[in-house]
Amino acid sequence: MSPYQESEKEQVWKLLSDAGLVDITLNDFPDRIKEAKHVVMGRLGELLELTTDIQERQSVAYSLGTLRKLETTLQVVACRSTSGGSYKPEK
Amino acid sequence: MKPTAKQVGTGANWPPQEGQIITFKSLSGMETGILEEVRWGLLWRDFILEDGRVIPEHRILGCPKTPVWRKADEVSQDEREEAEARLVSMAEAGLDPWNREQSFWAELNQYLAYTYLRFRQTGHEPPGAAKRIQIKLE
Repeated sequence: MSPYQESEKEQVWKLLSDAGLVDITLNDFPDRIKEAKHVVMGRLGELLELTTDIQERQSVAYSLGTLRKLETTLQVVACRSTSGGSYKPEK
Repeated sequence: MKPTAKQVGTGANWPPQEGQIITFKSLSGMETGILEEVRWGLLWRDFILEDGRVIPEHRILGCPKTPVWRKADEVSQDEREEAEARLVSMAEAGLDPWNREQSFWAELNQYLAYTYLRFRQTGHEPPGAAKRIQIKLE
């Protein structure tokens, strides 16, 4: 495992902070999952045009499937938690 | 709380050792717990406390300004698929996603950050992220 160099680490930290991906709040999870799906679908679209890298295509499709399942499950949980007008705050 | 646990140091003493008391930022303020294990996630280290809470390294008091990170392209396909399977399994098991100090939250956060970095390397940016950066600059 080779960690980032110091300057590189700072850049990645800033990048993720700017993208709202460090300490995501629960209310932000649906948006972050949607954004992740967007980038994964973009990559999958590219790969579908190529005929060579089937393994990466499968791997990306698997990740997209994971994001969809997570999105669906979190939506169900959110609906359950807010039904009856009772909002459950973050712990 | 074990009376023998030592309060964690900072700087040169980083990272804390198992059995030490660590202080971390939570939504309700500063909290403490006894460190049981330090575990690597897809990108950063999570500190597992004796009571089961999972705290990312960057939320712990005394952590260096930029904690240790892994590169997204060093995560193997097997490791990624294991993380994905764990996440789906935790979601399907109905684990409480409202508790941000539990493993579901911790793993989901890392997975989304990892996915962003993984595909950013191939030139894809989530539209929302670009918007947020623009707003910050204005």
